[in-house]
Amino acid sequence: MSDKTNPPEGPEEDEPRVLAAEYALGLLPNDERVAFEARMAEDQALRDEVAAWDATFAELIDDVEEVPPSPQLRKRLEARLFGARRPSIWQQVWPYAVGGIAAAVVLWFAATSGVLVTDDEAVRADLVAELAATPDGDGLDLRANVDTTRGAVQVLRSAGDPPEGRVFELWLIAGNNAPVSLGLLDGDGDTVIDLPQDLLASLPGAVLAISDEPPGGSPTGAPTGAVRAAGPLTAS
Amino acid sequence: MTPQEEVERLIARVAMGDRAAFTKLYDRTSAKLFGVCLRVLNDRAEAEEVLQEVFVTVWNKADTYRVNGYSPMTWLITITRNRAVDRRRALKRPPEPIDTADLLPDGKPGPEASAVAASDARRITQCLDELPRARAHLVRRAYLDGDSYADLAEATGVNLNTIRTWLRRSLIALRECLSR
Repeated sequence: MSDKTNPPEGPEEDEPRVLAAEYALGLLPNDERVAFEARMAEDQALRDEVAAWDATFAELIDDVEEVPPSPQLRKRLEARLFGARRPSIWQQVWPYAVGGIAAAVVLWFAATSGVLVTDDEAVRADLVAELAATPDGDGLDLRANVDTTRGAVQVLRSAGDPPEGRVFELWLIAGNNAPVSLGLLDGDGDTVIDLPQDLLASLPGAVLAISDEPPGGSPTGAPTGAVRAAGPLTAS
Repeated sequence: MTPQEEVERLIARVAMGDRAAFTKLYDRTSAKLFGVCLRVLNDRAEAEEVLQEVFVTVWNKADTYRVNGYSPMTWLITITRNRAVDRRRALKRPPEPIDTADLLPDGKPGPEASAVAASDARRITQCLDELPRARAHLVRRAYLDGDSYADLAEATGVNLNTIRTWLRRSLIALRECLSR
């Protein structure tokens, strides 16, 4: 059915107040609505009239029953408004870069006092990193030993698994450079990954980070999942 | 602080990008606004979709509402009601029928309506109760359910131009009563 009505008749024909009420109710046929909006743009009194009708009609809402929306709606809304941008990898790892230095000092003390013995003879660590779990880390406990002579990194995982259907990927973040993938961690236990020669010079002071990724690793070449653990490489 | 003042203060903080205030505003107003969406759309999924859009608008436009002289609750209700009505029209939902027996103008408010009016401080309900009951019902349908003239004509079987004439006369009478 068309929304078209004959032009209003009678003394109310030019009554802008009635048009304002019809506008507030959304009753005006399209052409009349467009014409009214043009008038309203020029006329503060008309805008006030519409606002007064809106306020008056809004009082009717007291009769409408309140119904809580589903709890998921708030989460979807917050994800849409605030969750679109994942924090940059630096925002995620910097607290661990700072905290890691203290851990590295403790580790250095433990290593030099003979408390700690590296359990893999093949890797003679000259750089180490304690990878502290991030809030997404869920109990992860990881240590990385780097043998720059051999050009390899060994990652020891004593606790924590990737989420169902995901894998852990190891990243190197040197200075302000974009994260470089070093490879995927094995399903369980220790992983030894060979390091490209050209990366070796940038290792001291760089940060190692673990993200969770789809099987086969990040499809983009940059971390796509949450960073789950991170820590700086320091001399052992 | 009155609820009105609290909502006003929360919107002012949302305008400055305060997420905690946004969450509080949502908790404080979402049940009322969802009720509005549900009344117009009568469909939870569609109503939630509209409510989400409303709060996205609130987050993005919280700094602009004052310019138009709206109180905070009027602003929230008007955005919500108008979005829900737009959605209903896009979906082309048929209107609920209106019993034509209800439409015969009896010229006077029923005794029931008068009793309600006496205990109701709202100007709009007092003034609606001065209208013939059936005419007041059409105004409520237009606002609360978002019926267009075409919807009201279809729902009642009354000619479109007649419906419009009735509505306009009712609105003139309302305006007169409200300004007394």
